[in-house]
Amino acid sequence: MAYELKQVSVSLAGREVLRDISCTLQEGKWISIIGPTGAGKSTFAKVIKGLIPAYKGEYTLHRQPLPGDSKGRMKAVREIGYVFQYPEQQIFETTVYKELTFGPKMLGHSRGRIEEALEPVLRQVGLPAEILSASPLVLSGGQKRRVAIASVLITDPKLLILDEPTAGLDPLSRQALLQMLREWQQANHRTVLFISHQMEDVAEYSDEVMVFHEGQLLGHSDPGTLFMKNTEILRRAGLPLPEPVQLLRLVEELSGRTIEVDSCRERDIFDKVRLVWEARGLHHDE
Amino acid sequence: MLIFDQVHYYYRKGQPLLASVSFEIQEGEFVAIVGGNGSGKSTLARLMNGLLQPREGEVRLGHLSTRNTDDLIKIREQVGLVFQSPDDQFITTSVLDEVVFGLENLRVPREEMSVRVKQALRAVQMEDYAEAMPHKLSGGQKQRTAIASILAMRPRILVFDEATSMLDPQGRSQVLSVMHELHRQGMTIIHITHHMDEVLEAERVLLLNGGAIAFDGTPPELFRTGTLADHPLDQPFAVRLQHALGLNTGLKADWKEMIRTQWPTS
Repeated sequence: MAYELKQVSVSLAGREVLRDISCTLQEGKWISIIGPTGAGKSTFAKVIKGLIPAYKGEYTLHRQPLPGDSKGRMKAVREIGYVFQYPEQQIFETTVYKELTFGPKMLGHSRGRIEEALEPVLRQVGLPAEILSASPLVLSGGQKRRVAIASVLITDPKLLILDEPTAGLDPLSRQALLQMLREWQQANHRTVLFISHQMEDVAEYSDEVMVFHEGQLLGHSDPGTLFMKNTEILRRAGLPLPEPVQLLRLVEELSGRTIEVDSCRERDIFDKVRLVWEARGLHHDE
Repeated sequence: MLIFDQVHYYYRKGQPLLASVSFEIQEGEFVAIVGGNGSGKSTLARLMNGLLQPREGEVRLGHLSTRNTDDLIKIREQVGLVFQSPDDQFITTSVLDEVVFGLENLRVPREEMSVRVKQALRAVQMEDYAEAMPHKLSGGQKQRTAIASILAMRPRILVFDEATSMLDPQGRSQVLSVMHELHRQGMTIIHITHHMDEVLEAERVLLLNGGAIAFDGTPPELFRTGTLADHPLDQPFAVRLQHALGLNTGLKADWKEMIRTQWPTS
């Protein structure tokens, strides 16, 4: 099970916004997509979702070529969920129940399957069952965001695209949402495409990272390789290193030695840096 | 200079969003405003230049009051708001026209207009993009154009309402450096943000919670006192790093400098 693009290019309004993209998105991975504004991140996600018809190249879905016509692309549209930026802005039903059941109904899920899915999906996003009868209008911003995400999760997508899902959320809501989505992805062995400008979130959550710049895919690797070894790619894309990795580089410079760390997660780097700091024998308190 | 005097605000009766909020912001201060989602930060910003009127209490700028319709134009000239998505406020087809638009409405004479536009574009380093279409700019350039269009009106206070939250890292650092440069030149800056690293760079921070000001002090005080534990906010990287290394002094927004100065030397 995989989504594969071969030499895909997309032009919009006479401008090539994606150039010669070849990649494979493996099942069960959290794949982050980074790049400056206008790099082609959202266009790439829309090609994967089957929303963009006029592209050059090949799109293979689970080893089957995906025809570019609207009927052919429906297979991708049906099995892939897309959470747009500020998804709560697209809530339109009069109750949370109607909002959550709309998508699976349109996809032809049976009534029984939809009803059974309601409670688990609400639990997943941390909302109480009583909220089903509420109007989305009376919910807080954070609750609306969760309802909007639940309305995609309930369609049971094989691949979930998240386009900056935490924009506008306060720090704790942001962490809670990302942790919830990571748990959902791992427990169900699903694929996530996570578009983000937050390098620290990308370093923390990803199995793989794709770097886009001016419509091209500059690199696709695990976060450790990208952030600790192939940093030239980030430089070309005009992106900063995550702060923990910047710290590691600074401590290497100050200590004059190379520090081996397997992970680019903050806590792992803090642990290493603390050891180096303490090994200097001059803790600030002493 | 900017005074909130016992300000109450609600969108629905019986559900107060701000209750008896009072504070003063002095000329030339750099103040960050933080709080969880729904704590009333954006409402506070809109009350600052009279886009919203307090249900009770008063918002004053010097001797002007947003309650007084005769004062409103003067207040809005002096208090500029920069929002999250500049796309929503572009109405012309070039960066230059975008900056000129506000001045035309204020009936600024042609010669003066040209001087002000040049100065505003220079302040945000967008002089080379005067003829560019706003919609074709990068996120950071768009936001800098929005700032220039406000700067041209020569405000004394700039309020940024999560103006960095949608930007890529480069755009964010461009907008932050413009903000700090304007502050160095004497402008009062009010910065509403969820980025605690940006808060650490402010001189003062107001924390909103449950319709009231829960904290008013310096950023190091906010992060040192443990006040944050009761709020949906996190610690800046510099503070997390301090905790990890067991340091409790010398907190700096520039954590690299903090590490360099405290690095054990033997």
